[in-house]
Amino acid sequence: MAAAMTTTTPDLELLSITKQFDTFTAVDSINLKVGRGEFVAIMGPSGCGKTTLLRILAGLETASSGQLYIRGKDVSDVPVNQRSTRLVWQNYALFPHLDVAGNIAFGLTLKPHDKAVVAGKVKAMAELVGLSDLMGRKISQLSGGQKQRVALARALVTEPEILLLDEPLSALDAHLRIRMQGELRRIQQQLGMAFIYVTHNQVEAFSMADRVVVMNKGRIEQIDAPEEMYARPKTEFVARFVGTNNLFAGRIQEVGQGHVIVHCAHGQLVVSTDDPPPIGASVFVVVQADKLTPAPTGVAGENRLDATLRGREYAGSHNIYLLDLVDGTEVKMTVPQVLPVEINQSATAWFSPANASLIRGAA
Amino acid sequence: MTAISKANPWIFLGRLWLGIAYAFMFLPLVVLVLFSFQKNRFPGFPLQGFTLQWYDKLFSDGTLLNALGNTMIVSPAAATIATVIAFFAAYAFNRFAFRGKTVFLALVTLPILIPPLILGVGFLGLLARIHLSGTLFAVFLTHVVLITAPALAIIQLRLAQMPASLEEAAWDLGATEWQAVTKVVLPFALPGIFGAWLLAFTFSFDEFIIAWFVSGFQPTLPVAIYSVLVAAIDPSLNAIGTIVFGISCLVLIGLELVLLPLLVGRSKNQS
Repeated sequence: MAAAMTTTTPDLELLSITKQFDTFTAVDSINLKVGRGEFVAIMGPSGCGKTTLLRILAGLETASSGQLYIRGKDVSDVPVNQRSTRLVWQNYALFPHLDVAGNIAFGLTLKPHDKAVVAGKVKAMAELVGLSDLMGRKISQLSGGQKQRVALARALVTEPEILLLDEPLSALDAHLRIRMQGELRRIQQQLGMAFIYVTHNQVEAFSMADRVVVMNKGRIEQIDAPEEMYARPKTEFVARFVGTNNLFAGRIQEVGQGHVIVHCAHGQLVVSTDDPPPIGASVFVVVQADKLTPAPTGVAGENRLDATLRGREYAGSHNIYLLDLVDGTEVKMTVPQVLPVEINQSATAWFSPANASLIRGAA
Repeated sequence: MTAISKANPWIFLGRLWLGIAYAFMFLPLVVLVLFSFQKNRFPGFPLQGFTLQWYDKLFSDGTLLNALGNTMIVSPAAATIATVIAFFAAYAFNRFAFRGKTVFLALVTLPILIPPLILGVGFLGLLARIHLSGTLFAVFLTHVVLITAPALAIIQLRLAQMPASLEEAAWDLGATEWQAVTKVVLPFALPGIFGAWLLAFTFSFDEFIIAWFVSGFQPTLPVAIYSVLVAAIDPSLNAIGTIVFGISCLVLIGLELVLLPLLVGRSKNQS
């Protein structure tokens, strides 16, 4: 019974958490459940409230209203130094007067402690994050990646119930970032600990997290698994923020069997759907850039986008084409081949109705 | 390099200028030390031969040495207390936003902006009413008031370099507010605290006007030197000057050897 209880209690539960600074609402009634040992990435543009939300979880800010539960316990009023969460800072926030071992041990030495036990834990943690050879180093003698490991070890050695990470990899170079992503994921799975990972970097969020939360203006726009979020964005904001999507605003003109016809400024588009909005509803047709292809010649048909080529970006394995539709809408198309079209010549793009999705627009 | 310096007369002239500037700065000190060991009653040439009679007079008379003793009690004590007050004040100014913060800062800085003469008169009146005038303790109190502001400024400068996340990290790891201050903020501020103490000590050591008003029969060194000067120009002054200069040199060398590597090591640490 007790075991069943613990498995069903989420590691973290937020009930309409709101944070108000004077007249500005930084975090607006957030509801979120994080399961046992889940890796959740919170993503959004700067100023969307993701860092404030993380600070509320850590106890560094107090929510204006709402409840916060960690493993079923209400911790809304528990001060930062008594919470079972640990935060990993963007700038690492390592203590410059202590060496690597001293930094890792810091959290364990604050209460009466057995030195041998602390030393053992510090050693084991250093091994886990790969710092065993650097224990006597000064913080100033470490590289960015090493500092990151110290920050991680310092937090993990205190055996928190949840680890909070605030853009921990943003100061590292691209190669190191990819390696650290892999290591973070490995450590997280090895410990079975819930990680809440705040970032504005889509690649980081999508490659590490079990679920991604997209925030905008203090609110949650969508919570989904990375593949789901990528394939089926639910709001206009997510569609524009995640991946490289093309959005066409329009109204439902006709509802057919398994598809709808959307009237847009540049023409009609056909979109497959099992859940058609009512006729006249304002919608966005969303098509990923790599789902657009040059239109097959000589075949008249649906979803042909007559456009003018405005630019080409060569990215090695693929080409990104920038097209302007007749009404001025910008369209991005990603294809592997080089098109036999010059800049400012006309080109026609095409997409299959099955590769497009619908988002309800503003009423 | 040498070819350039040969070709460019400005480099030679620049060095000459540097030499003159240094000579101008240090000549008085050289004269002071030189004539503390000469038989001349007044500093001037020709030199009349080596003697220790002025030191002898200094030690047998005792007034100036007593005064030096007084100063060596008052200044370190005042510097220490002022630095402690300054640290906590700087911490509060750095961490908290509170009503009247700027007014408070201005109030703390006020004692260095008011002419010491006015302050001296004020202190004298106040201390006389509470029967503390004319004691070493009075000098100590007035000096604490005077030197807290510069000490505060230096420590604040150091604390401003500390990212707020450092203290937050300590709390996040379970530290109480007091533990965060003693285990993280204090070590970080240490170079600033040392600097503040030194500056406060020097201010107090040199301070004459207020000490002259409130010290009474327990004069500090500057006050005692002044009373000797008023009576007559006595070469014993050269002797006490040389002793003070010697102490300063020792302190400076000590700092270079002990403190400086520590400070440089620390400031490197944060980059």
